[in-house]
Amino acid sequence: MNEQPILAVEDLQTYFFTNAGVVKAVDGISFELHKGETLGIVGESGSGKSMTAWSILRLVPEPAGRIVGGRILYQGENLLEKSQAEMQEIRGNGICMVMQDPLTSLNPVFNIGNQIIECLRMDSTPSGQSLSERAIELLAKVHIPAPRDRIAAFPHQMSGGMRQRVVGAIAISRSPNLLIADEPTTSLDATIQLQYLRLLKEIQEQTGAGIIFITHDFGIVARMCDRVAVMYAGKIVEQADVEQLFDNPAHPYTEALLQSVPNLDIDVDLLPSIEGQPPTLDDLPEGCAFAPRCAYAFDKCSEYPPEFSVEPGHGARCWRHHVNN
Amino acid sequence: MSTTDSMESSTELVRLEGVKKYFPVTKGLVIQHTVGMVKAMDGISFAIPEGQTYSIVGESGCGKTTTSRIVLMAEPPTEGQVYFQGRPMERFSAAEQRAFRASVQAVFQDPWSSLNPRMRVGSIISEPLTTHQRLTKQEMKAQVNELLEVVGLHPFHAQRYPHEFSGGQRQRIAIARALSTRPKLIVLDEPVSALDVSIRAQILNLLKELQQTYSLSYLLIAHNLATVRYMSHEIGVMYLGKIVEEARPDELFTNPLHPYTKALISASLPAHPRQQREEIVLAGEVPSPLNPPSGCAFHTRCPFVMDHCSKEIPEYREVEQGHRVACHLYTDRGVLSPASTTL
Repeated sequence: MNEQPILAVEDLQTYFFTNAGVVKAVDGISFELHKGETLGIVGESGSGKSMTAWSILRLVPEPAGRIVGGRILYQGENLLEKSQAEMQEIRGNGICMVMQDPLTSLNPVFNIGNQIIECLRMDSTPSGQSLSERAIELLAKVHIPAPRDRIAAFPHQMSGGMRQRVVGAIAISRSPNLLIADEPTTSLDATIQLQYLRLLKEIQEQTGAGIIFITHDFGIVARMCDRVAVMYAGKIVEQADVEQLFDNPAHPYTEALLQSVPNLDIDVDLLPSIEGQPPTLDDLPEGCAFAPRCAYAFDKCSEYPPEFSVEPGHGARCWRHHVNN
Repeated sequence: MSTTDSMESSTELVRLEGVKKYFPVTKGLVIQHTVGMVKAMDGISFAIPEGQTYSIVGESGCGKTTTSRIVLMAEPPTEGQVYFQGRPMERFSAAEQRAFRASVQAVFQDPWSSLNPRMRVGSIISEPLTTHQRLTKQEMKAQVNELLEVVGLHPFHAQRYPHEFSGGQRQRIAIARALSTRPKLIVLDEPVSALDVSIRAQILNLLKELQQTYSLSYLLIAHNLATVRYMSHEIGVMYLGKIVEEARPDELFTNPLHPYTKALISASLPAHPRQQREEIVLAGEVPSPLNPPSGCAFHTRCPFVMDHCSKEIPEYREVEQGHRVACHLYTDRGVLSPASTTL
């Protein structure tokens, strides 16, 4: 833990300035990611998890959206002070992203070989090996059968699982230190999802890259991640090692969410469910955003809780842990 | 209560017998000729008892949705029979058909596209009523209000438009619309997979509660096995147009027999980081239904494949009470006994 983290996000704030007012999509979040580590960012739609990823890549849709505060330290350097040209060098080279839908992230009019080579060409030091040979090698690395024949295929000729592998090949083409995967398996079938998750682990073992996994699925967190950050209404409400979080969820939202997911291995009569709806960000309650749906809410919750330490490496923003401290 | 034994004697509402549905694949712009058949359903038989949930699981392209369309009578089968309350659908009179349309409803995956954005919620819910019943304005309004309350919304919501609601609330509106004609069967096509995680349990519990209150039958199409286990009385596992295994949920998940079922269960994600599942990684992807493999369609990806799997279609047979499977491992010719294949 003493070595410098690959990525340290400190008090990041990404706001959207709309006619209806300021929407705090990401509202003061902090986390760290080390080499070879996998961090899961879990949350529902609108919790700010994807916007966190866009912020790290400096791809927040401007001018409506702006990063208004905080620091993003990538290998010790603050990305928020970089020019767009410098960012372009970092994106793809150091930080890569795998998006949710491979059909929209691949260009339909170029064959996949061209799309991989396009990335390889940006590398300033091409080795003696020809670019297409390296593209074939990459396709083999992501377990695409018969890569030599596949290199001329177009995205529409491939299945969803294959396309996502091609996106994976592009992402690792320049050996990134940090891979951000935004729900990369939601459009895949279960058996294909398992293949893909194993592939990501394999890539991580080979390259030692840090991975940020953005997901709404606690199953993926349990299968893939070392650490977890749970987001709710733009804030990280709980952060812990993965086993700590599943053994001892400290925030009522995490606890309720874990209980409300059906379990494959046991029969239950009635699942405990969370009442109410996730809040909309332009109309947040004062204080803790989860309080209106929380079974434990009390007077103190009208004030926003700071992060309390529950155990070493495990923090939660909930007043219930104030009493214990 | 896994609601199994008590309803063993209950009557069947829907029965499919050897249903096949083939879609022709054509080529040519002006003169079209058929170049092949997609066998979306290739001899499907199952029954949905009254007041129970029958679930179909399988990967995309296995024919789940076609099966639901056949049950909804949105599509005639190429071959085979579908019975509703003991009567073959094929021979429905016009009046019977009208009655059938009222007693079978559907709730779809995406509540953003299944509700008309230009209609008020009240009209959305009462639209099936205007088709199927003659009611005065007052009666209609009373019915809509009642339905809104049944699904956990408020009567004042009737005046609003769909965009004013969140995903979970929209799905409640879709359920209210489905309930409006007092159906006996509701087809649920991935009813919660488009919803936020914290909302899913609410909707599943609502569906369970409604099933008990109105003794509804459900045909549930889903890919999440945990959801299916929670909701079902019986589960059919589909692969390339065929049901390869069928059993009650506790039996299916504790004693899966077909290698594909085993692989599906092993591919589902753990509930806890310390939970280790034996992961059976299937080679490749689902083959094209246009040209399915010979013999057992699963033999190209099966870890237990034997010589005759590619030649003979395995018989679909009952190996234990209420547990049917189509796999050569469990026929007389099978080399391995079921016990030795336990993973």
